[in-house]
Formats: sequence, C-alpha cells, structure tokens
Amino acid sequence: MTIIQAPALAANAGATTGSEFRRGIAACMPVLLGIVPYGLVLGAQAARKSLSGLEVPLMTGLNFAGGSEFAAIQLWSSPPHILLIVAVTLLVNSRHLLMGAALAPYLRHLSKRKAFASLFFMCDESWAMSLADSKERAATGTSLPAFSLPYYMGASLAVYVAWVAFTTAGALLGPVMGDIDALGFDMAFPAVFLVLMRGMWTTAAAARPWLVSLVVAAVTHLVLPGAWFIAAGAASGLAAAYYLAGDA
Amino acid sequence: MIDLLNLVTILLMAAVTYFTRVGGYVLLRNRTLSARATAVMEAAPGCVLISVIAPAFVADRPADLLGLAVTVLCATRLSMLPTVLLGIASTGAARYLLG
Repeated sequence: MTIIQAPALAANAGATTGSEFRRGIAACMPVLLGIVPYGLVLGAQAARKSLSGLEVPLMTGLNFAGGSEFAAIQLWSSPPHILLIVAVTLLVNSRHLLMGAALAPYLRHLSKRKAFASLFFMCDESWAMSLADSKERAATGTSLPAFSLPYYMGASLAVYVAWVAFTTAGALLGPVMGDIDALGFDMAFPAVFLVLMRGMWTTAAAARPWLVSLVVAAVTHLVLPGAWFIAAGAASGLAAAYYLAGDA
Repeated sequence: MIDLLNLVTILLMAAVTYFTRVGGYVLLRNRTLSARATAVMEAAPGCVLISVIAPAFVADRPADLLGLAVTVLCATRLSMLPTVLLGIASTGAARYLLG
C-alpha cells in the first residue's frame, strides 16, 4: 500500500489519548479511500475461488496484510496448496521484519504485552505514518514519548475495520456481480501489485532482482504447468538480490 | 460455511504474518543486518509480487497485453484507485474492440 505523509502536528502536552486516537484516524482517511475498491475486488475474487462470506473476513481479519491476501487468492484452489500459499505469504510479508525493527527503538516505553498486541495491527500505512510522526515529535523535543500509541492505534484500527468490512462486502456482493472478467476486472490484480511495487521502488539498481523474477517466472509459466512459476521467479530474484548486493 | 483445509490455510497464513510483525521487533531490534541480508529482504516482496503476476506479461491475447501496458503506465504515476479503475477500463475496452 502507499506510503503517506503524516500530517504536520507538533506534539502538544494537552493531547489526550482520545484526541491522539482521533488524530490517527484522521491521518489515514485518504488511505481509506483507496482501501474501498481494493477490498471489494479482493472479496469478490475470493468469492469466485469459492471462499465463503465467513472465510473472507476470517482471512482478512486474522492475516490483515493485503498484498499477501491478493497473492494467496490468486493461488487459491480447491483444496488449497497450503504450503505454497503459506510460503508466499511469508515472503510477501517479510518486509514486516524490517518495519518492526525500524519501529522497535520507539517502542521501548511500552510493556512487552502492549507492544506484542499493537504490532498485530501494524500495516504499511500505520507503520509509515507512526514512524514519520515519531521522528517529528522527537525533533520537537517533547518530554512525551516520541511514539504515540493512541495515534498509531487510531490509524491502524481505521485501516483494519475498513479492510475487513470491505473485503467482506466484496465477498457477499461478488457473486451478485457475476462474471466480471470479461469487463477487465482481472486486471485489478496486476494493477494493485504494480502500485504496491511502485511504493517499494527506490532505485533502478535495487529493482534489478524484480526484473530477474519477472523474466524467470514468465518463462517458467510458459513451459511448466501449475504454480511453479511463482517459486522459480521468487527464488531467482532473491538469488539475484544476494548476488547483486555484492557489488554495491 | 468454513472448509477445514481453507481454515488451516488461513490460520497458518495468520501465524506466519504475525511472526513477521513481531519478529523484527524481537529478533532484529538490537542487531545490525549485513548489507546483503538487507538487500535480499528489501527485494523479496517485489520479487514475489512480480512473479505472481508474471503470466499477465506473456498473455496470448493482444488485448490483454494492451490493457497491461496501460496499467503499467498508470501504476508509475497514479495512485491505487485511478490505476485500478483505468487498468480495468482499458482492458475491458481492448477486449471489446480487439476480441
């Protein structure tokens, strides 16, 4: 999902938990607009793979990581290839490891229990906004902790509620909409993935492994049946990243 | 309404995702990753995402490739919502016109 700027608001001593929570919700309003179609499309596609109106919110509510859910739904069959889906989920979400590590220095004032509970809700958007907000508050020299837990939770929960609600709505409305692929709706997946990748883009050099993945996956798809192209593409891209980092 | 294998898949997805969310906080907060390890981890999500949609790049219908080209162009300069809408519209239109 997209990285967005935290609204400029200096830490102020009069801020209450409630006002901080509301500030978090307000900050991610633009993000929520983007979540609506994205959630509807995911839910509708999940319904086409015969996931039920209960299974969809179960997945989006317990997993709560959109990119991996799109990848999983794309791969879903009956019965599902469990290991493939779980491995892809792990790889797509491996960025959370770096995100959590980056946020960790700001979480020292929280108890382990609070940190573990709040990290469940860490998504790209709330992470990016909270990190930016923490850096800004740290720069103002406030006596309060730089990281505002209620701000983070406001942003996280707003995204969470919207995500689970709209993916569920998509699952319930999808079958009513019928076969939407003739209208081009299957292009929603590449579109979402490409925008996610644009958000991850740093330099052309850093994106070279992606090109390796694309070429290897495409060729594998043409010559081998089944979903091997994903494993082949991902593995070759990671190998390329490892190799290319050597001459950086 | 809930298939057992679907449920198992969903629970395992949730478990590995939660591991990635707390893993960085628990395992990496006091550690400096090598430049190589960082490069691999940063490249990983993009490698997986592009691999999943790779078949679209070798579609056998010209209309699908045209729709994809428009979508790629949109994705480089527009946000999520317009990109998804324009990607769908251009692909639907290309299929209607080119078959």
